[in-house]
Amino acid sequence: MLEIVAQAVINGLLIGGIYALVSIGVTLIFGVIKIVNFAQGEFVMIGMYISFFLATQFGIDPIVSLIVSMPVLFVVGVLIQHFLIRRVLGLNDLPQIFLTFALSLLILNLALMLLTANYRTVHTWYSDEALHLGGLYIPVAKLIAFVLAMVLSGLLWVFLHTTDLGKAMRAAAQKPEVAMLMGINPNRVFCVALGIALALAGAAGSLLMPFYPAYPMVGQVFVLMAFVAVVLGTLGNVVGALIASLMMGVAESLGIQFVGADSGLIVVFMMLLLTLAVRPSGLAGGRVR
Amino acid sequence: MKRSQRQTTLKRHSRRKFLKAAGSAMAAGAFGAYPLRGWAADPVNIGGLYPVTGSMAQIGVGIVAAAKLAVEMVNEAGGIKSLGGAKMNLIISDIQSDTTVTRTETDRLISSNKLSAIHGCFASAFTLIASEVAERAKMPLLTGSSSDQLNKGRSYTFTPFARASQFAKAQLQMSKLVGDSPKVAVIFENTAFGTSTSNGLKELAPGEGVEIVMFEPYSAGFADAGPLINKVKASGANALFSVSYLNDLILIVRTVKQVGLNIAINGGSGGFVIPDFYKNVGKLAEGLQGVAHWNHDMDANAQKVNVEYKKRTGDFLFEYAGGLVAQTFMIADALERAGSADPQKVRDALTTLDVSSGYAAMAPGGKVKFGPDGKNIYGYPVGVQWQNGDLASVFPKADARAPLMKT
Repeated sequence: MLEIVAQAVINGLLIGGIYALVSIGVTLIFGVIKIVNFAQGEFVMIGMYISFFLATQFGIDPIVSLIVSMPVLFVVGVLIQHFLIRRVLGLNDLPQIFLTFALSLLILNLALMLLTANYRTVHTWYSDEALHLGGLYIPVAKLIAFVLAMVLSGLLWVFLHTTDLGKAMRAAAQKPEVAMLMGINPNRVFCVALGIALALAGAAGSLLMPFYPAYPMVGQVFVLMAFVAVVLGTLGNVVGALIASLMMGVAESLGIQFVGADSGLIVVFMMLLLTLAVRPSGLAGGRVR
Repeated sequence: MKRSQRQTTLKRHSRRKFLKAAGSAMAAGAFGAYPLRGWAADPVNIGGLYPVTGSMAQIGVGIVAAAKLAVEMVNEAGGIKSLGGAKMNLIISDIQSDTTVTRTETDRLISSNKLSAIHGCFASAFTLIASEVAERAKMPLLTGSSSDQLNKGRSYTFTPFARASQFAKAQLQMSKLVGDSPKVAVIFENTAFGTSTSNGLKELAPGEGVEIVMFEPYSAGFADAGPLINKVKASGANALFSVSYLNDLILIVRTVKQVGLNIAINGGSGGFVIPDFYKNVGKLAEGLQGVAHWNHDMDANAQKVNVEYKKRTGDFLFEYAGGLVAQTFMIADALERAGSADPQKVRDALTTLDVSSGYAAMAPGGKVKFGPDGKNIYGYPVGVQWQNGDLASVFPKADARAPLMKT
């Protein structure tokens, strides 16, 4: 029994790492630019396809191809901020919602058209391997993904707290007007923020590729959990999103184990409702960092 | 436009007639949907309804390739002799993997062409709709779809292959290949497809002496199969029936391997027995079992068609596509005996079809004869197993073409 619970927790933590990469991106965008990016899942999908094609065409390991997918999506993020999102900022929320939602639909349908709806998998030497500890097992591909997700999250935290640009980003997130008065160029900060958020989505895609099939709708699988984690961990709070993502992964896994395999999400949403009832602004109590 | 215009054309002046005919022949070249008139006998049109675009496009394209191959084979063998060697002409209509489109396309196909029979549509959900339309239009429809619903209250629908209820039974019997007292875990996606298939398994299990130790619906499209397989492991099952679409199945198979769980997996039919499955799952698919209404190693004829199909498409002739070649020859057989292209007469000839040799008899057991419900009275499925990237028939004994590979 203890073994079953331990295994369920391991499974939950591992997939929670992937949820974290997606949700940190969403929460960073919300915290800094104050928009909700509905297309975040589609950028995960793009990251997966980049890794897929690098793996099948050039034999590059999907994990290694992270060094391509992250910069590519960073540039995409900067361009989208500069040419699209910048135009609708400052208006009311509706154009922003429509913009990212339209972006999501556009990318999704372009992918369906260009890449077809077929599932694509990459098979690496570690795809099906697992470490066995007693009766427990840890899939290698997911372990690598989890560790790298934590490393990237840590690097982001260091960036936000020690570099000038990172501090400027936090300043712009807390009080954009004051930040501007202090000489911070908001558009530049926003471009970098969206770039980083999309690079994280790209990283999530590359890390998923060794153990998850790529297909145009794949982003939808992860983006719902990411949105819940963002709300649960307080909108705009990077550390909150990380912790909430891990918690949700574990809650989902335990839910499947002890409630039913079609009700894993019930546990997750119960957790969300309870949290909102007790702490309406999320686990971090409304602090944005 | 087509039929009415053609009738008026016939009454007009001969030069005009020629011009119009030439014009329509050119249009036929452009659209490929208008029957070309040969010098000898008029061709016999048969319609095919398949998802050539949309989510099932990959399979649909493979099926259409087989449909074309089958018609070529009929024509090369001299066409329909009782109709003066009339060539068979295939008119394909794309149902776009969509139920609404299926209804309108079936309507359009039947009403705008002079057809003798149609076949379609791969997925039961589409075939049920097409069959309703065909019944109303009194147009015979042949299908490899397995829904038992297709045999209820219909008189123009013919199903030459095993039914869904027979699939469940065969799957349960296959679990005994692994051990004398199979403990089966059934996991299924919580959709109409998953629920109906798994309930069929549950109902038949006691009669077959199979114990179901776990019966669990799951939400399709999960991020991680780990928790579900953790549960299967805890159930102590030695056989796993997974009623799933491709994406979930890939994750399930991979996770079972990672856990190191020693369990025989049976993936059922449909998406599990197509070349794409192996391309996606790779070596891990080796040893996985499934059930199919047709397999290319059944008899010499099937093997012959398989070689030709492989030459054209690069893939082996899979269940539905292979069954369709047999269906095309059943239609040819009916046309031959009817001596007419009239759909009503073709339907009547199908009701008395009784073949046990040739391409029309390519079915497990090698015999086709329709009962009053349109069901092949000899129909049953074969159990298959992935071996070296190919599907081998392993069950029942009489149809086994390779020994079961132990996993």
